[in-house]
Amino acid sequence: MSIVVADSCSKWYGHVLGVSDVSWKLGGGIVGLLGPNGAGKSTLIKMMGGLLQPSRGSLTVYGRSPFHDVAVRRRIGYAPEHEATWDELSALELVTAMARLAGVPAGKADKAAKDALAQMGMIAAMHRRVRGFSKGMRQRTKLATAIAHDPDFLLLDEPLTGVDPVARVDIVERIKQLGAAGKTIVVSSHVLYEIEALTSDIVVIYRGQVLAEGNVYEIRRLIDRHPHRIRVECDQPRAIATALAPEDHVARISFERGGLVVETRDPDRCYDQIAQAVLARSVTVSALSSPDNNLGAVFEYLTGDGGRR
Amino acid sequence: MSQTSQTSQPGENLVPTTLSTVLTLAGVTLKRLGRGKALGIGGLLTALPILYAFAVRARHVPSAPGDLFYASLLLLTMLPAMFVGASIGEEIEERTSTYLWSRPIARWAVLAGKLCALVPIVIALLVGGWYAGIRIWTDAAPSAVSCVALAAGCIAASLVAAGIATVVPKHGMALTIGYLLVDLSIGAIPFSLNELSITNQARLLANFDGSPVTVTPVIAMAVVAGLWGLVGFARIRRLEA
Repeated sequence: MSIVVADSCSKWYGHVLGVSDVSWKLGGGIVGLLGPNGAGKSTLIKMMGGLLQPSRGSLTVYGRSPFHDVAVRRRIGYAPEHEATWDELSALELVTAMARLAGVPAGKADKAAKDALAQMGMIAAMHRRVRGFSKGMRQRTKLATAIAHDPDFLLLDEPLTGVDPVARVDIVERIKQLGAAGKTIVVSSHVLYEIEALTSDIVVIYRGQVLAEGNVYEIRRLIDRHPHRIRVECDQPRAIATALAPEDHVARISFERGGLVVETRDPDRCYDQIAQAVLARSVTVSALSSPDNNLGAVFEYLTGDGGRR
Repeated sequence: MSQTSQTSQPGENLVPTTLSTVLTLAGVTLKRLGRGKALGIGGLLTALPILYAFAVRARHVPSAPGDLFYASLLLLTMLPAMFVGASIGEEIEERTSTYLWSRPIARWAVLAGKLCALVPIVIALLVGGWYAGIRIWTDAAPSAVSCVALAAGCIAASLVAAGIATVVPKHGMALTIGYLLVDLSIGAIPFSLNELSITNQARLLANFDGSPVTVTPVIAMAVVAGLWGLVGFARIRRLEA
């Protein structure tokens, strides 16, 4: 069963487009929403969290409208992208209040809040007021407010923004642990490596539309007009180039210092033929890599001129 | 919006009750208020009628409760705006409301929680200032009906503030003060238009001229305040983050 089903879902803010005609289903696991600022990630997350209702089309979570159905929001944990919280409260007071408002009984809310703060590594600071927190501490506190009522579905909007590298690694690990515990998590970011550190399942959003979805490799296959690059660092680049040049799947070969880069529309076949060429011509290979396995390259393709719809 | 789940889904059986939601939000609102500056500023403003009473007593001015009541009505144009208008406006404008909209709670309960916390504070400050002022000036307690009139004015003005702040959150406080100052001016004009003035109805209810007490001012205040309350509750149901 799909947890989120968006059917021709659009959202406008007056004349400004937020999300345009999105039809999309979310099954489960950790899914990254990737796109530049203003692409529509936060709008989509807010619609899933029941903060916005579609201007046209429909979006359901667990089969219900999260904007209109109070009960389904009990299953959702949402951490917004902005920093503003009830700064006058301590972290424990804030998370306890949020747990109470999410339906945790009064007698259990304090423990639920402490557990959530402990999961986010905030126990030592839980009695301090949020006003004095660093960005990293605020992000952790926000995440604690999202998980304190033990929701099944987490919506984390830019949870790593402004966080220092050490805290980023820690938060990434904690989000992964939540995913491993069976939660369905949607994480948005405009920073490619942040998403990449969390999941290989991504949805690329651009100009309010879902441009592509799947894992990095599936997305790569969707855009066959953009050849996949394979970098071969070796002692005889011209020998490999000679072997590959006649193949129809090879779009371009370029030479770099100490190797070559092959652009191909059939990566699997290309890898086989590189291996054959290496063996046949006794080439010494020092490194074989694909720049396109990095999300950055995929994102560049998808949001570049050629990738635009 | 429904407060109970229609079908039994895992995790949906713990939707908070409306009472629990209102109480939680009222508690949070009071905590935030107690740790902010608004309460201190409100307290200072409340001291103005008391200082006025000290001054006129020292100069042996004959007592005129209506004058002091008018000073309290001036404060009525400010305190509900400072507390209710600012609290609701900031919640929406600074987007802390996004946490609330994502919770399984009825949106009207957010407004109700804030009003439950803040209206008694506004009443306590204004009626307390009025009571203390009259005690200082006349050595006697003010009439119960004048205290009730001021309290009713506080409730009505708070609902006005709630309505305005949900429609224009960014300028909720300023517009509420502006509205209530206009209300005060309209109340002073000798035409039937002054029936729409909350402050005028509070003055009529306080009954300083000794005429028979009627419920007409209460009904008039309830109609005006009720309309603004409806605006607030209707608006918050449809507010988007």
